[in-house]
Amino acid sequence: MKRWIGWTVSVAVAIGFLLPLIWMLHASFRPESAVFAGGFRALLSGHGLGLGNYVVAWRRAALGIGLLNSLLQIVGILGLGLLFNSMAAYALARLEFPGRRGLFALMLVLLILPVEVLVVPLLLTVRDLGLTGGHGRTLAALILPFAVKAFNIYFLRQHFLALPRDLEEAAVVDGAGPFRIYWSVALPSIRPALATVVVLDVLTHWSDFIWPLVVCTREETRTVQLSLANLFTQPPIQWGQILACAVMVTLPVLLLFRLAQRHIVASDLGAGIKD
Amino acid sequence: MNLSCVSKRAVPWLFLAPALSLLGIFTLLPMLRAAGWSFTNADLLQVDAARWIGGANYSDLLADPRFRQAFFNTAFFALMVVPVQAALAFFLALWVNRPERHWRWLRTVFFIPVVVSMPVLAVLWTMLYQPMRGDQMGLINSLVTHLGLPAQAWLQNPRLALPALAFMSIWQGLGFQMMIFLAGLQNLSVDQLEAAKIDGANSRQRLWHIIVPAMRPSIIFVLTATLILSFRLFVQPYLMTRGGPEGATVSLIQVIYETTFLGREVGMACAGAMLFLLLVAALTLLQRLLAREVRS
Repeated sequence: MKRWIGWTVSVAVAIGFLLPLIWMLHASFRPESAVFAGGFRALLSGHGLGLGNYVVAWRRAALGIGLLNSLLQIVGILGLGLLFNSMAAYALARLEFPGRRGLFALMLVLLILPVEVLVVPLLLTVRDLGLTGGHGRTLAALILPFAVKAFNIYFLRQHFLALPRDLEEAAVVDGAGPFRIYWSVALPSIRPALATVVVLDVLTHWSDFIWPLVVCTREETRTVQLSLANLFTQPPIQWGQILACAVMVTLPVLLLFRLAQRHIVASDLGAGIKD
Repeated sequence: MNLSCVSKRAVPWLFLAPALSLLGIFTLLPMLRAAGWSFTNADLLQVDAARWIGGANYSDLLADPRFRQAFFNTAFFALMVVPVQAALAFFLALWVNRPERHWRWLRTVFFIPVVVSMPVLAVLWTMLYQPMRGDQMGLINSLVTHLGLPAQAWLQNPRLALPALAFMSIWQGLGFQMMIFLAGLQNLSVDQLEAAKIDGANSRQRLWHIIVPAMRPSIIFVLTATLILSFRLFVQPYLMTRGGPEGATVSLIQVIYETTFLGREVGMACAGAMLFLLLVAALTLLQRLLAREVRS
């Protein structure tokens, strides 16, 4: 009986809290004239719902290319980032060299640099390097500046530091060099931390807005959020299609969140809390 | 000194080289150039023709009514979001911090808006805030009129627009703060709570004398992190109100953006970015100082 009440309360609170998203899903299936009709009572009706908005929104927003661009951007960032960040993190955690403390302090300073501050000077730098215009160049401009992140280096360093030294020492005795030890002993041991970095990076860059807004100047280079924003600002404004597009942009991340939930641990979110 | 000794010393730098070169080219160098440009009249289309003008950009910005309005808007936005979001998140964390399955499920529910991208939510809430036109209206006005209150043009009314953006932002980020508080609650000593209960402390006394003091590191982190996040406000006004009505929602980042792309004044925009960076640095310093105070 008590469990039953608990579930009822939870479900009621959940529906109230998620009402905006429930409305988004429901209204995305409605014909244009019914999107704003009937208030919240319309949520209980299944009348006239259809997939029409999805079909038109997919084409009008050029969402196929948007999804492809976002996917390529994220794959690029993860590919370069996982390798480069973990290498730097390993050096800061395990290797002795002059200037290590200074370098770590630099990482801590970079930790607080907001993207929004970087946008203008970064755009000019990227322009000077010729990374604007075409597809490949824009993709490089989306990937290269954000593959290496101070937070990821800091986070992975903490996890390398927490590893017991025995394994690595055993590898040294076996005659393994530092790169072998990093690649086949240390890196596999911090797999959960790497998974966390992957999930956080995907969530961050799927939401990217201000940087793509300034570098993706052509329709074929747009990322998903720009596809949506474009549908939202270019007349004729069709609310049903905008909602359908918003749902399609959201589904992949919700799916990822569902699959990777256990990698988002509360203590990681506040990783800077003790410094 | 033989060859292997030299190569040994180079090893750490080989590990660091890729990360450091990307950080150097795409973060450090641009920031240094921005600092330089902030003292020039650089134009977006001919940056090389920039001329040194000293601190003129800074004094112009600080005197510019739109920049000042953006500062006060952003500060007011933070003032609405930070305390409300932190307090709600704190009590939610206390509420769902129980082992049963439905409470754990509810934690996930509160986290969902954090996962959904901000541009998606900005677009969605623009529709939720739609004013009433005949029998057509957004969900918020539908709920409001159902409660017997008058419908409002939330985003078109200069007095309501910024609070409306704050409300939506509180809803969006609540789950994130709640998770941080939940992590903090794991460190709470159950024995101490039990002892207080036996000593006859009521739930309010336990909250103020045991839970809140023990949670101080998390509270400081959440308050300062939310403060910095609130100051970075951009997507919501950019998509939902374009900074309007009458500049009521224009934010600091938006002014920097407009100065660059509408006014082409890169020098001025870089000065704005530097001022913004200074603000963030000051807030971070405050966070560190408070955190140190708590520990000692």
